[in-house]
Amino acid sequence: LSDHDADDELRKLTQPLPDAEETVRAIYHGAVDAVVVQGPRGPQIVTLKGSEEPYRILVDRMTEGALTVGRDGTILFANRRLAQMSGRPADGIAGRHLGEFVTEPFAELMRHWLDFPPDKAVRHEVLMRRADGSHFPALLWVGAIVLDQLPALLITATDLTAQKQSEQIAAAEQFVRSILEQASDAIIVCDRAGRVTHASWAAQELIGDAAIGTRFVEALPLSGVETGADKAVTPVLDAGTIVDRLLGGQSMRNIEMRVLTPRRTDGFFLLNGGPLLDSQHMTVGCIVTLTDITERRRAEEKQTILVAELNHRVKNILAIVRAVATQTLVRSSSLSAFKEAFDGRLKALSLAHDILTSIRWGRVELDTLVEESLAPYRAAGSAPRITTDGPRVLLPTRTVVPLSMVLHELATNAAKYGALSVERGNLEVRWGVVERGSGHWVELRWVECDGPPTDAPVKEGFGTKLIRRSVSYDLDGQADLSFAADGLKGTLAFPIPEDPAHATASLAAAGRR
Amino acid sequence: MTTTENTGAPDYNLRLYVAGQTPKSVAAIANLKKLCERHLAGRYNVQVIDLMKDPALAQRDQIVAIPTLIRQLPEPMKRVIGDLSNSDRVLVGLDIEPVAAPGTEA
Repeated sequence: LSDHDADDELRKLTQPLPDAEETVRAIYHGAVDAVVVQGPRGPQIVTLKGSEEPYRILVDRMTEGALTVGRDGTILFANRRLAQMSGRPADGIAGRHLGEFVTEPFAELMRHWLDFPPDKAVRHEVLMRRADGSHFPALLWVGAIVLDQLPALLITATDLTAQKQSEQIAAAEQFVRSILEQASDAIIVCDRAGRVTHASWAAQELIGDAAIGTRFVEALPLSGVETGADKAVTPVLDAGTIVDRLLGGQSMRNIEMRVLTPRRTDGFFLLNGGPLLDSQHMTVGCIVTLTDITERRRAEEKQTILVAELNHRVKNILAIVRAVATQTLVRSSSLSAFKEAFDGRLKALSLAHDILTSIRWGRVELDTLVEESLAPYRAAGSAPRITTDGPRVLLPTRTVVPLSMVLHELATNAAKYGALSVERGNLEVRWGVVERGSGHWVELRWVECDGPPTDAPVKEGFGTKLIRRSVSYDLDGQADLSFAADGLKGTLAFPIPEDPAHATASLAAAGRR
Repeated sequence: MTTTENTGAPDYNLRLYVAGQTPKSVAAIANLKKLCERHLAGRYNVQVIDLMKDPALAQRDQIVAIPTLIRQLPEPMKRVIGDLSNSDRVLVGLDIEPVAAPGTEA
């Protein structure tokens, strides 16, 4: 071999060496990502693990948990996020059994899917288990894959804890709002600092919706009151003390309060309240409920007055009945005469009460009283023998019973002996309001004519006595009765309270009839 | 793929073996293109061979790792393995006289 030939041969022999070195160096430095291997049917290209690396990094860094599970349920790979979710070190998951990470019903389902891989990814909400044994809700996507020609599952997991919490908070908030919107009581919720965070519809009516966020003591100036036996109201608690007590963990039950806001200055409320506790039983605020009892209080007061008034009236009536019975008995010639007279007088009393009841013990119109008293004597179908005329006069309640008795006595008398006892007789009842001194008086003229000739009775009967007595004592007025040949003529005069409304009513109705 | 930047016979005849779209293959194609334009403008011919499409072609130049660049011409044959990201190493491997960067003294 020449030197040249020898050099050439050496070069050929050494040629593969730098190439092999270059190949090893390149693979070692990660400069290649595929290799050619000799397979049974010639060369085959195999991409190296290096090419998967970017994807592995991608999977490892993603915000969802990811894992692959082999046929026997062993976890082959898990990413960093899954480790974080399950409270284990990043390298502490691969090799463990899936059953350690999911609760039993789902672990069972996983075993089924490993035997019978799902056609497409399955979505499932599960409870996953942390290393410390606690659980958290997660959404899993499970898909079937083939790893090394064996079936496996690829699972991604999303931690639903935050989502579930916000859903629960939103649901709880909606629940609270619904209650507050429907509640008829004023309900106010405050935070730990005593600021209003929620107010029911009724509470907003009381304190205004701008009060949310302000301090309770400013939003709702109120004071607890004690109602003494003399009905005097004394303040015992203020809003600041109430909030301090509630935030301090005390409860308050049925405390009567006065509320003084620009919107309500006259209200009485029952206060109930207590601390607002969180799931750890720590006080995070307080709840105050105010029930408006203003109307109830007024009704109770009114009822008390009415009962007292009723007692008074019942006693009065019994006294009247007793006097009427006694006097009628003394003046009656027989039992049947007593019965007739007494019955008529009771009816007159009853009539007066019917009228008073129908107008709820308010004021009665004189016109009504006269018409009701004379109604039994207006014979149906016959010529009008009774004429009534006068302006509208509102009678004070206390005058109704005595005046009714007086009118009854006059009408009974006319029916027995006077103008109403004969076919041709006539009765005129006319009244008006006149000024006497500084007050107003009602003057009522009772004029019978065309009656049977009469003489003034020798002895004044109980009827006449009752008329005089009633007008003078019960009505504080005067009765002037004269017995003319064709019937009784009399004037009843009694004062009525000087009441502008009443005076106007009288004037307005003066031209009636 | 063959790129000829010359009307006459090129000084450099190069073959780049790749495997589909693997990251190193894609990088190698891009790096070679930049290098040739910079240092061999008008003097080269590049043929890119995708072994994913035809693995048997690996036998011709005894390719074992991908990507691999072969200098067919001028003789002797030279090979550089990797994604060609280190251009100095490639220039040495292919025995190419580097062209000075624009704005620098030769």
